Amino acid sequence: MAFKFQSYIGLLFLTWSTICVQAQVSGDLKPASDIYILKNCFVVPQPGKILSGQDILIKNGKIADIGSQLKKPFDALEIRLDSMYVYAGFIDAYSNTGIARPEEKERPKVTNTVYPQNEEAGITPQVRAKDSYKSTDKSVPEMRTAGFTLSNVIPRGLMLPGSSDVFILGDKPGDRMLFKADIGQNFQFAPIRGIYPGTVMGVMAKFRELYKNAEIYGKKESLYQALPSQYNRPEYSRELEAIYEVTTRKTPLFIKANHTKEIHRAMKLRSELGFNLILADVQQGWYNIDEIKKHNIPVLLSLELPAAPKEDVKKDSTKVADKSDFELKKEQSIQEYLSQASAFEKAGIPFGFSCLSVKATDIKKNIQTMITHGLSESAALAALTTYPAQLLGISKEAGTVEKGKLANLVITDKPYFDEKSKIRYVFVEGSKYEYADRPQAKNSGKSNGEDPKYVGIWSYIIDIQGMSQEGKVNITFADDQYKISMFDNTRPYDEIFADNVSLDGKTLTFTSSVDMGQPVTLQFELNMDDKNYSGTISVGAFGSFPVKGTWLSKPNNF
Amino acid sequence: MVRILLIIATFCTTGFLYSQNILIKNGTVLTITDGIKENTDVLILNGKIAQIAKNIINPKNTRVIDASGLFVMPGIIDAHSHIALDAINEFASPVTAEVQVGDVLNPFDIAIYRALAGGVTISHAMHGSANAIGGQCQTIKHRYGVVDPEKLKMEGAPRTIKFALGENPIRVHGEGKNIIPNTRMGMEQTFRDAFAEGKLYMQRWDDFRKGLIKESPEYNLRLETMADIIKGDILIHCHSYRADEILMLMRVLKDYGVKKICFQHVNEGFKVAPELAAYGATASVFSDWWAYKFEVYYSTAYNASILTKNGVTTSINSDDPELIRHLYHEAAKTQRYGGLSDDEALRLITINPAQQLGIDHRVGSIAIGKDGDVVLFKNHPLSIYAIPQMTIVDGVVRFSIQEDPDDVRLEISPTANESSFYEEMHHSEEEDSCLQGFSEWMMEHKSK
Repeated sequence: MAFKFQSYIGLLFLTWSTICVQAQVSGDLKPASDIYILKNCFVVPQPGKILSGQDILIKNGKIADIGSQLKKPFDALEIRLDSMYVYAGFIDAYSNTGIARPEEKERPKVTNTVYPQNEEAGITPQVRAKDSYKSTDKSVPEMRTAGFTLSNVIPRGLMLPGSSDVFILGDKPGDRMLFKADIGQNFQFAPIRGIYPGTVMGVMAKFRELYKNAEIYGKKESLYQALPSQYNRPEYSRELEAIYEVTTRKTPLFIKANHTKEIHRAMKLRSELGFNLILADVQQGWYNIDEIKKHNIPVLLSLELPAAPKEDVKKDSTKVADKSDFELKKEQSIQEYLSQASAFEKAGIPFGFSCLSVKATDIKKNIQTMITHGLSESAALAALTTYPAQLLGISKEAGTVEKGKLANLVITDKPYFDEKSKIRYVFVEGSKYEYADRPQAKNSGKSNGEDPKYVGIWSYIIDIQGMSQEGKVNITFADDQYKISMFDNTRPYDEIFADNVSLDGKTLTFTSSVDMGQPVTLQFELNMDDKNYSGTISVGAFGSFPVKGTWLSKPNNF
Repeated sequence: MVRILLIIATFCTTGFLYSQNILIKNGTVLTITDGIKENTDVLILNGKIAQIAKNIINPKNTRVIDASGLFVMPGIIDAHSHIALDAINEFASPVTAEVQVGDVLNPFDIAIYRALAGGVTISHAMHGSANAIGGQCQTIKHRYGVVDPEKLKMEGAPRTIKFALGENPIRVHGEGKNIIPNTRMGMEQTFRDAFAEGKLYMQRWDDFRKGLIKESPEYNLRLETMADIIKGDILIHCHSYRADEILMLMRVLKDYGVKKICFQHVNEGFKVAPELAAYGATASVFSDWWAYKFEVYYSTAYNASILTKNGVTTSINSDDPELIRHLYHEAAKTQRYGGLSDDEALRLITINPAQQLGIDHRVGSIAIGKDGDVVLFKNHPLSIYAIPQMTIVDGVVRFSIQEDPDDVRLEISPTANESSFYEEMHHSEEEDSCLQGFSEWMMEHKSK
């Protein structure tokens, strides 16, 4: 009997210790509880509504209850949110979040540029975002910090980059964060120079051909399935199979269309071929409002905006007169970009936001700018929550703060659209991310009282697929800020200025705009050492290229 | 200042102006097809020429323009240009019949307005000459102010396609990629292959539609377009210089029963003018431009006159956003070299290019029922002192030397810098605008 009892104890101990060991081995240290009760907050359950004095109970990643003075379960962690504001987690309807830029390798040589393989020509509709999404990519926490909890993730690529999937922006491994697969196919007016199709007109012609062949493929496939003895087996094509879903309208086609001309081209393809179009990353859509409304085409407006013109402190009429016609027209043009969202709202066209081209840290500032240019707060919130939820077919699960929905929440200290508001918590499927009252801004080009580093003239050599482009970089430090300008050897007298200079440890990042027929932003990321550096330059949709350089001399006027 | 801003604002926001009714009073009307009419009025109603007579009574809601002392002529037509295009050459293949420059129109291009300032109301926006068979071209009306690219297209204009002979395709594909065509023999073979494949493709689809074969052939937009050329649905405009190659292409076309061909540039056209006339081919030439590459050394400023006298329908084109502003001067050069009459010289930039584009029933002369495309000139258009005063397209005043503001750009990019005309025109020096973007492309290509 005693023996039996001892072994019983032993067994218990054994079991318990096993559990301990498991917990340590998995390294998955969960908080003491995953049940939260948020006390006494303002809740904005959906655009245009607000409830005060609310408590929210979060359990199993979902909103278990909302109401005033909810009873706190014994195992819940209580967070007092007195006077804070709770919104539904934002939904990014179009971006490459979680998909790392491909490392710049030697691109395999294309042996036949006239008839390239589909993949070489950027035709990869069979690719899925879920095959390369990683929650460890730095874009995921960046988007989360900006209040986004779900993203419609587009694979990186060119003409037909693949189909997009919706991911929850949590930090569990990427494949476990897939929320909804196969949201839509994607198309970009993205030719590859030197390979067919090498121009936008080539891309459009190629797309028409693929589309017709996908229709034929589908027909042949169903004929063969019905009467296998009478017809030949159609040769399998993963590309046509993927596009076939677009031709039957089973899946929509997102077309990235920044400029009004691209919007027009997208609408033209749609009216010729008849697919379900979603216009994405629209930056200049005001010209096309009537057509978009007439055909009821869903729109995702880009959150990227051009820099606002510097306004004079006092609007002095004499000052205005000093400006040239060119400057006045340019300002008017910028105003139109900043008023795009407002123009869509006034026209009664609902829209979502695309985060493809915007830096996560600019999102709030840009939404503010849209609001000062006439966009209503409720339309802005709808574009961040309910509209994309509905468009992506996830409005039963997300988009509002409601019992039973995902516990995706953004919590701010003041109303979100208040200029001074700060995001204090983001809940992603019930997981809490807390942000300090004043998050220590990363070194945005300013020094921390240390001596400025890396000042001087440096060489640069950009390796563009075996060809090198060379020039000089001038790094100076004045008024507590780094300033960078460049001179390219092909145009040695044109000073190219850099913006958004930021030094984080040894990583120097900055951007520069160049005009390549249309404005293109170059993004530099350099790993600095005392006498040399190496890094990459990302050039819009063209990919990224390695760059290196050495220290030449102290700053001077060269 | 405020006035200027207002004008700019109206210009920008009105965009597509609807046709007005316009009565042009008391001009010297150069009708082209019906002689010269002094002190005559031209009435444009709903975008069409409604009446040509003396002392027309002004109907209601009609703008009256006093043309006393001015010359009134039909809008000038340029049968070869590359303005208003975002892409010109699909360099990647020697045959790219499937691409259409109509897909990449750029209504914001200031060159459209500059062309209007030279009295040009219609241009033939062409694919470049990098490929033996380049893309399909687009006849556009210079409705500057519209932002919808579709509204630039001349509705109902026949489809046209660019072919190219000689050095350009050989350089791009033969020398550039070491593929056919690498010689003028290879050029002929490239055309013959494309036509043969197009014909086979057409037959295969006909068989399928008739039920003779059960399995649907693959769809091929390139060959589909070749089939349309064989059917005569698309007019060919071929970049050409040397006489031997011009004859070669006519032989190829004859073999496939293709009749409609306009030879562009055609510097050695004067050598084969009777052969061109016999085939029914037409010619669109430069007035006096040559020696910019080897195959254009054997040239003459008498080309247009010789072709005209031999019965070849001839036009003078620009191929250039600067030259397009003074095509009337270019036409006048044929009076110095070859002694063409006023009427013959003016036809080179009006009804003749209209014929080459298949739009002569609509435009190219001042006649009742034709489109209201009219230019008012101070001094005779063939005079060295000629200055266009007003250009009207479909009854809409699109250019007015008196009324327009200085800056009529429709769009200024938020990152734009103020630039001069000179900088804009010369930012990329090219040997020949038909090959725009080539050197840049070559650099990229060689690295691959």
